[in-house]
Amino acid sequence: MAMIEKRRIAVTGIGMVTPVGNTAADTWAGLLEGKSGAAPTQSFDASGFSTTFSAEVKGFDAESAVPNRKLLKYASRSHRFALAAAAEALADAGIAPTEADSHRWGLAVGAGMLSVGYEDLTVVHDYAAPDGEFNADGLIDPDFPGNPVNFCRWQSNAGQGLLTKQFGIRGYATSVHTACASGGQAIGTALKVMRRGQCDYMLAGGFDSMINPTGISGFCLLGALSTDNDNPTGASRPFDATRNGFVLGEGAGFLVLEDWDKATARGAMIYAELAGDGNSLSCYRITDSPPDGNGPIQAIEQALGDAGITAAEIDYVNAHGTSTQMNDRSECAALKAVFAGRIDEVRVSSTKSSMGHLIAAAGAVEAAVCCLAIRHSLAPMNANYENPDPDCDVNLITGAPQPMRIRAALSNSLGFGGSNSSLVFRNPEEVRS
Amino acid sequence: MKHAGEKIVFTGSGIVCGAGTSVAEVWDRLEKGVSAVAPFTQFDGTNWPVKVAAEVLQDNRFLVSDRKLHKTIARTDMFGIYATESAIEDSGLPAYREGLGEAETNTFNDRTGLIIGSGGGNYRSNYDFLPLMTAAKAAPEGGLPYFGRELGNQVTPMWLLKNLPNNVLCHVGIRGQYKGTNACITNQCSSGVLAVAEAASAIWNNEADRIAAAGHDAPFEPEMVFYYHRLGLMSGEAPRPFDAERNGTVFGEGSAAVVLEREADAKARGAKVLGEFLGFGCCSEATGILDLEDDGDGVKRAIESALADAGITKEQVGLICAHGNGNEASDRTESMGIRSVFGEDIPPVTAFKWAYGHLIAASGIADLVMILEVLKRGVIPGIATLGEVDPLIAPFPISREAAAPRSDIALLICRGFGGMNVVLLVRGAS
Repeated sequence: MAMIEKRRIAVTGIGMVTPVGNTAADTWAGLLEGKSGAAPTQSFDASGFSTTFSAEVKGFDAESAVPNRKLLKYASRSHRFALAAAAEALADAGIAPTEADSHRWGLAVGAGMLSVGYEDLTVVHDYAAPDGEFNADGLIDPDFPGNPVNFCRWQSNAGQGLLTKQFGIRGYATSVHTACASGGQAIGTALKVMRRGQCDYMLAGGFDSMINPTGISGFCLLGALSTDNDNPTGASRPFDATRNGFVLGEGAGFLVLEDWDKATARGAMIYAELAGDGNSLSCYRITDSPPDGNGPIQAIEQALGDAGITAAEIDYVNAHGTSTQMNDRSECAALKAVFAGRIDEVRVSSTKSSMGHLIAAAGAVEAAVCCLAIRHSLAPMNANYENPDPDCDVNLITGAPQPMRIRAALSNSLGFGGSNSSLVFRNPEEVRS
Repeated sequence: MKHAGEKIVFTGSGIVCGAGTSVAEVWDRLEKGVSAVAPFTQFDGTNWPVKVAAEVLQDNRFLVSDRKLHKTIARTDMFGIYATESAIEDSGLPAYREGLGEAETNTFNDRTGLIIGSGGGNYRSNYDFLPLMTAAKAAPEGGLPYFGRELGNQVTPMWLLKNLPNNVLCHVGIRGQYKGTNACITNQCSSGVLAVAEAASAIWNNEADRIAAAGHDAPFEPEMVFYYHRLGLMSGEAPRPFDAERNGTVFGEGSAAVVLEREADAKARGAKVLGEFLGFGCCSEATGILDLEDDGDGVKRAIESALADAGITKEQVGLICAHGNGNEASDRTESMGIRSVFGEDIPPVTAFKWAYGHLIAASGIADLVMILEVLKRGVIPGIATLGEVDPLIAPFPISREAAAPRSDIALLICRGFGGMNVVLLVRGAS
C-alpha cells in the first residue's frame, strides 16, 4: 500500500487531578518525589473491607476549579475531576472553542464507573428492598426521594454531556469504556478522529472514581487489591517480587490535541507529538493476562507502526504496571518480545507505584505523564521497588527520577476483558529535525 | 469523493429485539404493522403508570448456548453476544477462516476487529448487594464495617466481571479469537451507530481487514422506567413518532450487529453483500445531559457532515430513517433539522421505534440492520401507530402506508443524551 502522509497531531495542553496532586504541576512534582497517594480511606468507613486504604484525591475543590454551580449539580465526583482537569488543560494550551470554530472541536473520554453510587443504592434499599428483596413498587411510593438529577448523573455519557456543555464543544463527541484501557483508548480515538479530518482540536482524556463502597466491593470480591493495610504507601510496588495487588486510585487526566500546523502557526508550546495508537484484544481470559504477552505485543507493535517509528526509537515506557502478579509478568513478556535485544536500553516505570490505579482515567493520566517526561527530559520513577522478580527484569527506573532525553515514549494500558491500548508520543524536536 | 477506490460493504447482520430474533422475523412484524410493545413481564406493573415495553422473551439458553457463561454475564450481554455472533455467522467468515492455514488464521484473527456499543452500567446489578445491606443495617457494629466484612460471604466473587460494560467485546473476542482493533463505546443512544462509523473508519485507516460492529442494551428495568417517566419521556403505549398526539417513548431491549469489510475482500471470498457504508457525521449540541437545541441545528450539522463525508448530494438520498423516539421536543427538533437541509423536498421518512421500542445503545444500529432490509426489498413499511402528523411538523413525508424509496441510499439519524447526533449514510445492495 502506498504510504499516506498522516496528519500530525500535537499535544499542547495538559490537566490532571490525581491522588498525588490536584493539578498537572503538583502531580508531576509528586511523581518526581516518588510520593505515594495511598492512605487509609477517608471518604467512607472502609474498616470492615479486606482493603482499608486507597489512593484518594485530597482537598479537591470543584467549585474553585469550575465555577459553574448549576452544571456541578449534575456532576458526580469523577465528573468534577474531569471538569477541573479539562479546564486546566485548556488553560494550559491557551486556546478554547469559540463561536466560530466550536464545530471543529471534539471530545473523546474514557468514562469511569458506569454504575450508581452507594448513597443512591441506599435510598433504593430503604424504599424498595428493606427486607433485602427488591420490590419495584417501592420506587412508586409517593415518598420515594429518587431524584432525576442523580439519574442524569449516572447516564453512561453524562461526563461527555457535561464537558461538551461547559466548554462549548460542538463537533465529534464520544465516550468509551474498556475498563482499565479506557483512557488510552479515548486518546487513541481522538487521534483517529483528527487524522481523518473531522476535528482540528480535541479534548481527550479519562476520569474515574470507584472509591466508594460499591466500587471498591467489586475489586475486593475479585481479590485484585493489595491488602497491605498496615503499609498503604508501600502497597503499590509494580514489578517487585512481593507485589500482591493494585491500589485503587481516582482522578482525571486530559490532553488538548491540536493540528500540528495550527499549533505551530500560533506559536504554541508543544509537549509532544501524539504519534501512534495501537489497539488489540488479548482473547485470553476475562481477568487473567496472557503469560506470553500475546495481545499486548500486537497493541505495542501497531502503535509503533502507526507512529511510523521502530522499537529502536523508544527510550521510555510508562508501563501499565498495576502491581498484580500476572499483569506485570505479562507486560514484561510483551516488552521483551517487542524490544528484544534492546530491552536493557529502554527505561521503564509504572507511575501507579505513586498514584495507584486510576482505572478508566489511568491511561489518560499516564499519557500526560509521558508528555511531561518528554518535555522535561526526566522520567519518573517506579517507586517502592525493592525485590527483583526474574520474570520482570526490565530496566526499571528506581530510587529517583532519571534525567534522560526521550526521543519517543510508549504508554501501555491493559484492561480487564483483554483490551490493550498503546500510545506513542514523540519528542517535538525529533519531529522538527 | 472522499473515500474513492475502497468501498466498504456490510456482509453480515444480526438482530434480537422484542420483534424477533432474526432480520426476517423483525421484517415480518414491520411489514404487517404489528408492534412488539406489550404489557411487560419482568416485574409486576399493576400499580405502575407505565405498563408496557418491547421485551425479549426468549430464555438465556436460546441466546447463548454455553450455560456456564450465563452466571458471569448480564442480561444485556446475552443480547449482544447473540446478535454479534449471528452477524458474524451470517457473513460466512467463520467458514472462510476454517479453510485457512495456521499462519493465515493467525493473521486473520489479528486483523479482525470488534467495536461494540454498550449501554454501560445498569441498576439491576447493584441489587445483588441488597440482602447484605439489610443485614448490615441490623448489625450492632454499624452498617459499612459489617457490609465490608461479610461481602465475600454474601456476594459472588464474579460480581464485577458480570457487570463489565465491555463484556460483549471480551466474550465474543474470546469465543471467536478476534484479536484486532477494538473499542467499547458507551455514548448512550449513539453507542451502536458510532460503533459502525468507527468500524468503517478503522478499515479505511487499514487498522483491520474486517470488523463486527454491534450495539446492545437492556434499558427496561424498574428504575429506568421510573426516571424516564418522572422526566416526562415515557409513553404508556407504543411510540407514535411525529404524530400530533405523541407522548413519549417506550423501552425495548436487545441488540443488533453488522460485519463490515472491503468490497474487494468480500468479492474475493464470494460473500453476499447487504449494502455499502458511505459515510457519517457526528456532532454534539453542547447542551448538557438532557437538553436539546430548540432549532435542530445539531441534526442539520450531522446530516451535512455525513453528506460531505460520503461525497453525495442531498438529492441522492432515497429515504430517511429518523430517530423518531416519540418525544415532543426530540421529534420536533429532528424534523426541523431535516427540513433545514432538505427544504420542502424531503425524501420519504420512517422510524421504527413503534415496532420494537427504544433500544437506547442499540437503537440506531437496529434501525440500520432493518434499513438495509428496506433497501433490499425496495419497500418502506408504514408506521402502524401514526394517526395525524403533528401540524407543527407537517408537511412531512411520513405515513401509515408503505412507500417506495426514491433511490438506493438511506440516511439514518440517531440522537441521544449528551446532545448527540449521529448520521449514517448507506447504500442498499443492488
